[in-house]
Amino acid sequence: MIKVTSIRFAPLALALALAGCASGPGGGSIYVPMGGGEPSRAPEPPRTAEPEQNSEREPEPRVWRKSEEPAVSEPEQPSRTPSYRESGDALPAAAVTLIRDADQRLQQGDSAGAISSLERAQRIAPRSAEVYFKLAEAYVAGDNLGAAEQFTLKGLSLAGNNSSLQRSGWLLLADIRRARGNVAGASQAEDRARAL
Amino acid sequence: MFRAGALGLVLLAGWMVYLDAVVTSRFEGRRFEVPSRVYARPLELYDGASVSAGSLVRELELSGYRPGDGVRAGTYQRNGGRFVISTRGFLFPDGEEARRRLSLVVSGDRVSSFSVLAGPSAAIVRLEPARIGGIYPAHREDRVLVQLEEVPELLPLGLMAVEDRRFYDHFGVAPLSIARAMLANIKAGGIVQGGSTLTQQLVKNFFLSREQTLVRKGNEALMSILLELHYDKDDILETYLNEVYLGQAGTRSIHGFGLASQFYFGESLKDLAPHQLALLIGMVKGPSYYNPRRHPERATSRRNLVLDEMAEAGLLAEPELAKQKSRPLGVSAKPSFTENRYPAYIDLVHRHLARDYQQEDLQSEGLRIFTTLDPAVQHASETAVSKTLPKLANADELEAALVVTAKDTGEVLALVGGKDPQFAGFNRAVDAHRPMGSLIKPFVYLTALEQPDRYTLITPVKDQAFTLEFDDGRLWQPKNFDKEERGEVPLHLALSKSYNLPAVRVGLDIGIPNVQQTLRDFGVTTPISDYPSMLLGSVSLAPVDVAQLYQGLATGGFNTPLRTIREVTDADNEPLSRYNLKVDQVADPAAVHLVQYAMQETMQEGTGRSAYYTLPGQLTLAGKTGTTDDGRDAWFAGFSGDLLAVAWVGRDDNGPTVLTGASGALPVWSSMMSQIPQHGFSPVMPDGVQYHWVDAEAQALTGEGCANARLVPFITGSEPVMSTDCNGNIGRQIRSWFEGLFQ
Repeated sequence: MIKVTSIRFAPLALALALAGCASGPGGGSIYVPMGGGEPSRAPEPPRTAEPEQNSEREPEPRVWRKSEEPAVSEPEQPSRTPSYRESGDALPAAAVTLIRDADQRLQQGDSAGAISSLERAQRIAPRSAEVYFKLAEAYVAGDNLGAAEQFTLKGLSLAGNNSSLQRSGWLLLADIRRARGNVAGASQAEDRARAL
Repeated sequence: MFRAGALGLVLLAGWMVYLDAVVTSRFEGRRFEVPSRVYARPLELYDGASVSAGSLVRELELSGYRPGDGVRAGTYQRNGGRFVISTRGFLFPDGEEARRRLSLVVSGDRVSSFSVLAGPSAAIVRLEPARIGGIYPAHREDRVLVQLEEVPELLPLGLMAVEDRRFYDHFGVAPLSIARAMLANIKAGGIVQGGSTLTQQLVKNFFLSREQTLVRKGNEALMSILLELHYDKDDILETYLNEVYLGQAGTRSIHGFGLASQFYFGESLKDLAPHQLALLIGMVKGPSYYNPRRHPERATSRRNLVLDEMAEAGLLAEPELAKQKSRPLGVSAKPSFTENRYPAYIDLVHRHLARDYQQEDLQSEGLRIFTTLDPAVQHASETAVSKTLPKLANADELEAALVVTAKDTGEVLALVGGKDPQFAGFNRAVDAHRPMGSLIKPFVYLTALEQPDRYTLITPVKDQAFTLEFDDGRLWQPKNFDKEERGEVPLHLALSKSYNLPAVRVGLDIGIPNVQQTLRDFGVTTPISDYPSMLLGSVSLAPVDVAQLYQGLATGGFNTPLRTIREVTDADNEPLSRYNLKVDQVADPAAVHLVQYAMQETMQEGTGRSAYYTLPGQLTLAGKTGTTDDGRDAWFAGFSGDLLAVAWVGRDDNGPTVLTGASGALPVWSSMMSQIPQHGFSPVMPDGVQYHWVDAEAQALTGEGCANARLVPFITGSEPVMSTDCNGNIGRQIRSWFEGLFQ
């Protein structure tokens, strides 16, 4: 019973987070089609050709030997510094559809069905914190608080500098921890939410 | 006399009832066996979905679509990048995907303008999954079951011509043939001729006895008659085709024409030429005597005899007969036991099933097994192995394995178990346990970086030779791969350039037990050596195990168990088990982020940079090379935003090669990566990490524009306190001084 009341606000917070974050494909990550280059915006001109050349392209690795190890000719210059970013991917529209579907299933008490839909969403948007928070919610409904906590932590690792997502995540974590009897952990998480 | 006769009749009737029960139960058991169906993952289509036009076509064809008007279900129409697809609908474990007509454009390897032209509207639709194999659990082995209507007509007709011309007319036994055979046998003073009908042969096969006594033959004849009373001819013929004994491979019997076709020719039964069918038909008489691999001459003359019989029965015209007789046997060099297109992958599915299923669950037939195999990635992986390996030095001796997983889900997308991906043999991806070499280094440094008060990415570590003396007096002197020493190097460079001496020094400093613990946390379940040589990767792992370990590094410290199966249902779509995504935080995301930084540097400036010979520069990657002594194992493990892959190249006899991780395994890895459109790797900066411009040599913060400046992540609080200007003038950083003052 405690559990039900204590997580009451988490779905609300997430609903807010979800609104308006549906984004275009990729959701922020840099997409590299085969052979590189920017994806062209305009559709290809109609063609009646056979399957695309580049999809059938056979890669031609060179033969390298140990003696050549210190590369004589330098490969294509990759970006100079290791990459990172401040926030995770925004949700693409297809993932939002699946999350809505999961919400419906949750309302019908079908947490296993909701998890199925959310896993589809996660495959499409594996770097969006929201999907993981939603998974946590579905696991709470399915009474698996251990999994719920882990998915919340995973979501938090992708929340980056988005303070509303961070706040949702820490509050969700506090609720789950309290429901699991981890009072100290819960108030730690609440402190984090408050500090934002 | 009459009484004795009546008693005899009663006994005979009782005996018949008994035989009837025996033979029908055996027949039913064979006839109604339905194999478990194994499916690839369904392709999800939506705006933004990542797929190239070429792989969409391949995917459609795998799922049994035909080019057509795109209106009839199961057809698609393509015009350049524009597709119209009419799906057939599919009952997935989580609900029905309705029949729909879809329109979409593939451009830049992405789906756009996705819309539903007919059927319930949807923003995302799953195609029917491709069937990638069958598992016949009751036998605990693969069988390739065939149906009468799908086998080439020549097979049943030729079989009847040779073995039982009057099959469709007799009632199970052919007294005339028996009489003829008996006569011959009496003349010869022993059994030299069969005269059995196909039905009798089938009955004999059920009981797997080659013993030929009169009682036995009498029983067989009775059972054959009983069988004919219960079932029609086509049922009996079909069961015969699936049941007849056609060879032996070790302890394993080859039953049925479907499996025999794979075993002898490596081809599907429906693709066999007449001379190949004739060989199989000829072998019914004596699979071991006419074994084409062992006795090719005998087999050839037997085959030609069957071809003559076929011609005589009017099944082959004269010019065709001569042509077929002139063909070589066409037997494949290596026996294959499966029709499965992806033997290594299906092998892993088998193991996962066996791990999680009770035998009685597996006995229930007609299971539907939904796997995580991605046909496009599998295709790319097979191409990568089979095209790259021959280009490496001493290619003939080399073998390879490749595992590809979805980085954030742990789903195994593709698996290649050897250089001939179609060959179902030793599955190196799962069974080749090899020392991991330098692939261990990220875990050594992760263990160190989890103590930010002692180690950061710019901590100078000694790159100097040293000697360890064990208690028993043995000495150990690790060396760098290039035998050079550089005095001191910053930690990030020690990892990206994969120097050995710093790794051993850091590992010994942080403690071998702590490194062992990190490895266990990330998923190593086998015992790990206590010797310092473990710090250079004396730990032996199979490529899938390495993929499991690296999954935790790729996802920022969250273990994600590898899965090949999403769900198993029974024939009525009732879920039997579901294998859900699991995550488990096993390391501080901040420390893992620092390791990811150095693994990205590996690809940009370190041992993995030759990947960009093949890959576009915008595709940001992280990875690690591994090479063991004398190039016995060449490893590469790495990831992009979407995919994680582990490649291994080496020799089955564990012999030396001239290869390194970079020259042997990385080309395979890069080739696979180059064929898949995907997102670059760019991790989200976790809580508790800050980036600073630093001058590693001066161990100080510096300005962005300075020559030695490098933007490096630190666990908050572990960044340098000093700062330097571009000229190297060290000064105490003002801000941190003030911070210190007011704390």
